[in-house]
Amino acid sequence: MAKFKAMTQEWLDAYKAAIEADPEYKPMAKDWEGSVALVCNPDPSKGVPETIYIFMDYWHGDVGEFLVCDKAKAESATFVMTGDYSRWKQVALKELDSTKALLQGKLKMRGDLPYVVRNIKTVNKVIDILGNVDTLWPDEM
Amino acid sequence: MAGEFIENQADEVPFSYVIAELLASNLDQNPHKMRTFQKIYGVVAIDLPDIEAAVTLIFSGGKLKILKGIVGKPDLIIRTESDKVIGLNSISVKFGLPYYFDEAGLTVLKQLARGEIKIEGMLAHPIILTRLTKIMSVM
Repeated sequence: MAKFKAMTQEWLDAYKAAIEADPEYKPMAKDWEGSVALVCNPDPSKGVPETIYIFMDYWHGDVGEFLVCDKAKAESATFVMTGDYSRWKQVALKELDSTKALLQGKLKMRGDLPYVVRNIKTVNKVIDILGNVDTLWPDEM
Repeated sequence: MAGEFIENQADEVPFSYVIAELLASNLDQNPHKMRTFQKIYGVVAIDLPDIEAAVTLIFSGGKLKILKGIVGKPDLIIRTESDKVIGLNSISVKFGLPYYFDEAGLTVLKQLARGEIKIEGMLAHPIILTRLTKIMSVM
């Protein structure tokens, strides 16, 4: 099975395909409206020399653009989540619960928090699927 | 903006910002909840031992002060793990009261029964608990 380097366009394409292939996702996300940006802070010691911006568009169970993008595009998203590389890796590997990370300030979110809490199952589902993408992590290459 | 009624003095506790943001957004989006907020007088502590974070919420009729740690003798102390505390915000409100007979409500009831969520003072201060649930519910 092919492995994809984390936070590259190929990796995002694989992630998008995994979401589309998950039979539970579409009905679960039928009420979700809004794009999500992930911002990964740089950590040169882990192979991430610059900030990485990711834009993902979710709409009522469908998935649209999944792009590695620039800062302006990321900041245009409805929800923007920011964290260090090691935190994102922990979340993807399910070593760190995303809710716990938010409450500890390890991840920060900009956007309508009540909406996210209302749709927490959908949020947890896409994070769960992220863990299924076969990933090459920059600090392990 | 509802945020102006909230004074967060627990800067070092990231969890305090989540509570403040959740409440401020909830009040902005649901102006009818402001009436409930204005009726709450009482002190509520939320203790999340797994992330070693605790805050005390002091409600005084339309104002909220958030302090770091458990301060004084709160009317209610909610003690649970960080991944369960968000579930408390998913309790629906029907006919002006928390509704425990849908999926989110039953989940919280089970967690209470199993001791995964502990609420000290809930029998002595049911009105504060009811009003707190109403203003914090995102449903």
